[in-house]
Order: sequence, then C-alpha cells, then structure tokens
Amino acid sequence: MNTALQTGSLARDLAAICGAQHVDEDPALEAFAIDGMAPAIAVSPATAQEAAQVVAFAAAQNLTIIPAGGFTAMSTGGIPERINILLRTTRLAGVTHYDPADLTIGVGAGCTLAALDAVLAEHGQFLPLDPPHPEHATVGGTLAAAVHGPLKHGYGGMRDFCVGIQFITGEGKLAKGGGRVVKNVAGYDLMKLMIGSYGSLGVIVEANFKVFPRQVRGNRVRTFVLEFTSLSGAVHFRNFMRSSHLTPMCLELVSPRAQEYLTKEAPAPRDPDDYAPAAPGGPPSARWRILLRAAGSETVLGRYRKEMGINLSAELSGEEEANTWKYVSNFEAAILERHRNAMFARMNVSPAEVEAAIGAAEQAGVDNNLLVAVVGRAGLGALVLAFIPLSVDPPSAMQYANTISALRSALSQDSAVVVTRCPQEAKWHFNVWGSTPTDLESMRAVKRALDPKGILNRGRFLV
Amino acid sequence: MLNLPQRPVCGSMNFSSVVKQLKKIAGRDAVLDQVEDLMLYEYDAGILTGSPRAVVFPETTEQVSRIMRLLSESGFPVVPRGAGTGLSGGAIAREGAIILAFARMNKILEIDAENHRAVVQPGVVNFDLSAATKRYGLCFAPDPSSQKACTIGGNVAENSGGPHTLAYGVTVNHVTGVEVVLPDGRIVNFGGKTSDLCGYDLTGFFVGSEGTLGIATKITVRLMRIPEATATLLAIYNTIEDAANTVAAITREGITPAALEMMDGWVLRMVEAATHAGYPLDAGAVLLIEVEGLRETVEEQAETIRQVCRKQKAREVRRARDERERQLLWAGRKNAAGAVGRVSPKYYTQDGVIPRSRVPDALRYVESVAKKYSVTIGNILHAGDGNLHPIICFDPRDPDHKRRAMQASDDIIAYCVSVGGSITGEHGVGMEKNELMGLSFNEDDLAVMRRLHDAMNPRSILNPQKLFPTSGGCREAAASPEMTEKIVGNSGTRGA
Repeated sequence: MNTALQTGSLARDLAAICGAQHVDEDPALEAFAIDGMAPAIAVSPATAQEAAQVVAFAAAQNLTIIPAGGFTAMSTGGIPERINILLRTTRLAGVTHYDPADLTIGVGAGCTLAALDAVLAEHGQFLPLDPPHPEHATVGGTLAAAVHGPLKHGYGGMRDFCVGIQFITGEGKLAKGGGRVVKNVAGYDLMKLMIGSYGSLGVIVEANFKVFPRQVRGNRVRTFVLEFTSLSGAVHFRNFMRSSHLTPMCLELVSPRAQEYLTKEAPAPRDPDDYAPAAPGGPPSARWRILLRAAGSETVLGRYRKEMGINLSAELSGEEEANTWKYVSNFEAAILERHRNAMFARMNVSPAEVEAAIGAAEQAGVDNNLLVAVVGRAGLGALVLAFIPLSVDPPSAMQYANTISALRSALSQDSAVVVTRCPQEAKWHFNVWGSTPTDLESMRAVKRALDPKGILNRGRFLV
Repeated sequence: MLNLPQRPVCGSMNFSSVVKQLKKIAGRDAVLDQVEDLMLYEYDAGILTGSPRAVVFPETTEQVSRIMRLLSESGFPVVPRGAGTGLSGGAIAREGAIILAFARMNKILEIDAENHRAVVQPGVVNFDLSAATKRYGLCFAPDPSSQKACTIGGNVAENSGGPHTLAYGVTVNHVTGVEVVLPDGRIVNFGGKTSDLCGYDLTGFFVGSEGTLGIATKITVRLMRIPEATATLLAIYNTIEDAANTVAAITREGITPAALEMMDGWVLRMVEAATHAGYPLDAGAVLLIEVEGLRETVEEQAETIRQVCRKQKAREVRRARDERERQLLWAGRKNAAGAVGRVSPKYYTQDGVIPRSRVPDALRYVESVAKKYSVTIGNILHAGDGNLHPIICFDPRDPDHKRRAMQASDDIIAYCVSVGGSITGEHGVGMEKNELMGLSFNEDDLAVMRRLHDAMNPRSILNPQKLFPTSGGCREAAASPEMTEKIVGNSGTRGA
C-alpha cells in the first residue's frame, strides 16, 4: 500500500496545503460516508488554488477524490471504489462578482443556493433554480448533478444560464470556460461538459450565471390547481397548454399517491419499517393534479382562468402559494422521512412519451411490490419517480433492480431513468445510470482527457 | 493567389489519387478540383481567405464517414462548410485543406410537432426550417442576420446567435442531439430528442466547437411556439448616450425584450439610403425593440417600454402597425452591414462583448478609437446582451488605412476583455481571432481545451489551425501579419 494512504502522513500533507484545522480525520468522517463507505480523510481548501494543490497532490499519489458540496445529491452514483480524499467546497463560498445592472453573478462552488438567493434578493433578482434543500445544496453540487426543480419548465436549466465555469482537472490544473458576460462563444463550452458530469471530469470551484428579475413590476404570482380523474386527462390538459400561448413558470404533474407527501405538516416520522402510507395499497385517495404557476397582471391571469376552464379547482396566492412549491421541491425528503428504503429515479422522456412512461413505472412498481409516486415537469418530460416498498413485505434488493430494468425496457431509446437514491444493498444488482444514446467511447475519451488517472469519483459515474 | 498546402502529406496517397477516391465515394459531379471552381470557396462573409485544394459535396452520412476515413488515412486536412456566411473564417480552408460542403445534405428529415423537435441534415437553410415548421405554429429560434442563406450545420458549428437570442438563447439552447462523423470516420450520436439524457452533455460541448471536433451530419433541434403577438418599436434619439441609457433602464424594469438592437446615426443613414425603411436621417441613434408573447403581456410591455424610452429622452417612439412595417424595420437592421458596403470599399465587423451595463462607456470608447486612428466606425449592437458589432471601414488598397483599421479593432477587443467581456459573442473564433484567445484564456485554460480537442481530433485533420493560437502565447496588440495580408480587395457582404 502507498505510504501516503496511511492517514497520518496524508493528514500532514493536506494540512500543509490547507491548514490542520481544515483537515478532518476519524471519527468525524462517518458523517461523510457514501454508500456506507467513509472517506480516509476530508479536506476543505480555502481557495481554488489550494483545491488545485490538493488534487495535484492526490494525482501524484494516485489517491482518489470525491468532490463534495452539501451532500444533497451524494446518494446518486455507483458505489465508490475507494475514497481517499473527500474534497469539500464548503469554504469556497464567496460571491466573486455581482453586477446587478448586468444581471450576472459569480460565486464559489460551495455557496448554498439559499445564500445565493439572499444576495440576489437584495436587488430584486434571482436564479430560477429550485431543487430540493436549497439551504444545503451548493452551486457546485447543483451544477455537477444537474439537479433542477419545477421552475425548469419556464426558465430552463443550469445549461441555459451558467455562462462561465472554473474547475480543477484530475491532474490538478485550474482551468476555465466561458466568461462573465451573457453572450460568449470564445473557446469550447466547458460549462456544458461540467454540468451533469457528477464531479467525474473536474472539481467545480466557481461559476458565473446570468440571473433574472424576480418579478416584473405590477405582476402577481398565482398557482392554479387543476384536477383530473385520470392520467390521460392530465396529459390531455398538458397538451392543450403546450399548444396554447400561455407561458407558465411551472407546470407540475402530481400523481395521486404523491399528494399526501406535499402537505403542510411533514407527517410525523414513523418507524420506517412500520406500515407507513396513510392508506397503503388502498385506492388512490385523490386525483391526478397539475399545479400551474403563472405570473402576470390581472388581465394576464384572467386569460389563464379563461383558458383553463372547468379543470380549475383552486387558485392559490400568497404564502400558501409559495409553500406549495416548497413542498414540491421537498417531495423526496418527505417520502424519505417515512420510508427510508424508498428508491428515487429521475426519468427523462419526450413529452409524447410521458403518459406511457408513467404507466410503465406504475406497472413496474406494482409487479415488484412497490408503490409509485410521481411529480414532475410534465411539459418537458422530466419526472421524479418514488418507489415505496410496502413495509408488510420487507424489500429485497432484487425488487429494486427488477423494477428499474422493467421500466427501462418499456421505454424508447430516447429516454433515461437514473436512480438517484436507493438502498445500498440494491446498488450491487444494477446500474443506477442506465443506457444512453450518447457514444460511450467519446465520453471515455473526454474523461481521459480531463482525468487521465481516473481519480475523480472513481467507480461512481457512467464512464 | 493560390495557397499551396504547407503540411507535408503524411499518408501514402498523393493528391490526385485522393481526388479519384473522393469521386468514387461521392460521385464524379460531387468533387471540384479546378482552380476556377475552387476560387468560389476561398471566402466567407468576413475578410479572410484561403484556397481549398478540392471541394466535395457528400450526400449521405455514410459518404461523409468514408470520406473522413480516406482523408484521415491519407493525411489531408478537412474543413466542413455550410453556406460560407460565417465571419471568422471557420469554413475557410487553411493549409490547402479539402472542403466538405453540405449543400446536398439539405433535407428536413422529420418534424415532430408533438415533441417540438425537428431532425435536419446540416445543409438545411436556417430560414427554410422555420418556414417548414410554420404550419405547426412552431419555429427555430436562432435567427442570425444571414438566416436566409446560412445553414443549421453552420449554426451548430459556430453556436450562432441573432437579434432574438436575447430572450431565447443561442443555438446551443436549441439543439438536443447530433449525429457526428468523427475524424476517423466513426459515426456516433450525442444526445437525442429528449434533453437531459444520461451521460456527459457532448451535444452541448459539440455545439460551437467550430468544426474542430467532428462533423454534424444530422441535427435534432428544439422548436419553439411562434408567439401569438409581437410589438416592434423604434425609439429615436438625438444622442447615442440616451439610447444607451435606455438599454439599462429597460433591464431595470425587469423586462427582457425578445430583441433590443441599437444602430448609431451614421449606420442609420447608410441603412436608410439602402433599404428605405423610414428611419429618420437626423437621429443620433435608434433602438429597435421587440416584445413577443401573450397578447396581453405584449401590450403591457410595449407600453412600459414606450414610457421608459420617453423618460430616457427618446424624441419619438414609433410602433410598427402591421407585419409589413415590422419586416421593413427588420430589413433595415438585418441588412445594415451590407448597406455599409455601399459607401466603404471594405469593412471589418467586430464581435466583442461587454457587460450590458457598460454600453454607454463602450460606445464612448469606440468613438475615441475612431478618432485616434482616423477611421470611420459605425455601431450596430445587440444592445440587450452587450454584443457590439462596430463596423470599421477601410480601403484595402491603402495599406496604412488598413493597418489603422486593424489597430482600432484590436484596441476595441482589448477594451471589451478589460471590462470583463469577451472577444466574440456570436461570430466565433475561427482563424480570425485565434491569436486573440490568450486575452480571455490563460495557458492552462487553453491546454485543457487543447486536450479535449486532441481527444476527439488527435491528428488535427479537421479544421486545423483554427480556434487555438498558433503561436501559443498572447499576441501583441497589433494585427496579425496574416490577417493583414489576407484581407481581400473587394466589398464584404453581410454582418450579423
């Protein structure tokens, strides 16, 4: 074994770069375990340069690195081969530039979305990103995992508003792509490569964004709740919305089963292995819902009401309106609180395939004794699936694997089902990433170019 | 005039046997190798030239693949080319490369109206795609000024923009998948119809790579709903300063217009003489502002914008009453660069970007540069996103005039970078600005990009000597000798 792997000497080497107080050793590391595996050491550099030194050191010693932000998406990925160094971005959290008049901002990767939002709110601006846990989720982690929330419907994703990025390659080289301005085609678009690369191509240390006005003066925000007796009714309405000229901020589909998790009070945590759903196995209590969030003047909102017609069952405003969206973002956490063995997947299909894909997910769940709850951006075909085991029937690893493989085989080639969380035991039995039409050999070539020794997130990503 | 290849042919085949093979693959009528034919392919819409050794017109992906295999084995460099409307030399043959021209791969393969997607071959003309999808109420949003000629393949290579990208984003925001022929001839897919598929976003990485990573042979694009209402306003100002201040004021209102364009008085007079769009001849500057979307929203926003313009001392705000008036206003804008060709024997269209709040400063700076070098500079701007297009006029027969024009250009680019901007907003780097890359990127940045280049295009068979500095370091603030040498003698065509 490499001597540097002996934690004592490793700690000294990293302390020389970042200072001893920013190097964590046992027993603090248990909190950072990924799929049950604790890192040998954790380090929190203060600057991009320090972080680059850490990576360069690791590359020289053949040590693996997992970059870590707020641990909100760390459950996604294969079981790590080994974790020598957990590189935390916590201290890279500053705002590097903010020009409200230009609607651009640059922040360190460790800045949480909530902290970023607070800075932007002072100038009446925001970044239209609403993934779960904004108080923990970091900018770097959100980019790396390409996480999104309901606002993606109206505003697009990270890919559409990240205008510059700085990262450290697997060799410890600090590099950047893009810039600060909103329009820029100089050089390769490295933002696109980093977004959704799950830290396997580089450690993101800083990013620049174009931001948006929070609210046009005089506009109000409303959420319209629409109810349908069937999924096809909801999809039909969605089709109508897609062909109408209305431009809602969010168009979120909520399955009957999902609704009990989108409530005001988080349900009292029960023994996760206890019989948990409110009405387990019973007939779905409610109907399919579409939550439609729109902003505009009273005239514009009037147009919405008119076009939505008889499907409109409620109109929310104020705090109730805002909270509804917090609950949607918090969907996975609300389920996890009650069912620690739940499995979550992000399913991306074409809009035309949404109905069939949800049908396939429900069928795959039922066939494997799992209840299925769905929320998601039905207009885009980007859905969050929750598979909930019945506690009368303690789940087996194969149930999860079989569910996912049945679902994947029912979908067209132009689709993706990525498991974002499942019990570790199940992970051994299937590939959490699934297949992709994108050429694997080209992906590997890109990986080799940026991380030739394969030290970044080894064993966790697709290639 | 004819540039002979400087690169020694590294394969076993000589050129004439390569031509024979190319004819066998693509057909006898699909290969040009006579000097008089090749001269037509020396140009793009910018100011640089280069002579290809041959031009091939493939018809299928398989042909492209076989051609790439042949040329990479025989060591001849290849440059893909659409309509040649680029401004940075991306589609010009350096080193006597062989041009693959996509005029015959111009079919719209599928319009999937339900999913708002179209699958097209690279040679499809940008405008034709929107025309074909119109009956579904859909359009392809990127609208470069050359949209009636430029191809989707070229848009993908350059990540093209256009006036309406302010609200809708540039080409990369509208491409979800590409079929690519790699330099070794392998046919691969990146992405597909669905966005956010699993794996690296190689689609996003590929778009804007300027033909240096692979050749797109099939492109899946996102289509957008055609907005139900549009309001086009022309705000007329006595001073360029007032117009520039309006840009910031509109942004402050929280309104993102679909387009927010500026032309200064000098350009305006050129345009009016050429297009008769009804622009006022005595104005200092105009803003062409368009808002699109829901009828009700458009009315409200048009009114707000009118008030903002008034507050910022617009002397008049006109609104196009119908589609004909609207088209006329846009014709003036989109043909602006061409109109300049009527008065200047040659001009150079710059593409620097500044943070959008710096528009007033930047215009003052451009004016000072024009004075310093005694050159005429007209200003067209995608003002809403800070993308400048100073048009620098010169007479190519006067070497000193030419030199001053290039120095003026270099000063403006250096200024853009110094205030936190970019060397190019939408025209691309190509062989026009490759030596300027060092202004925006340091050696490590470029080394990483170079690594990625080599991962896909290891022998630089595809579009060699583009995008990256050939020298490796930062260049002095002077026109590259090559650029000055290669500027051609007759009038340019269109800008963005």
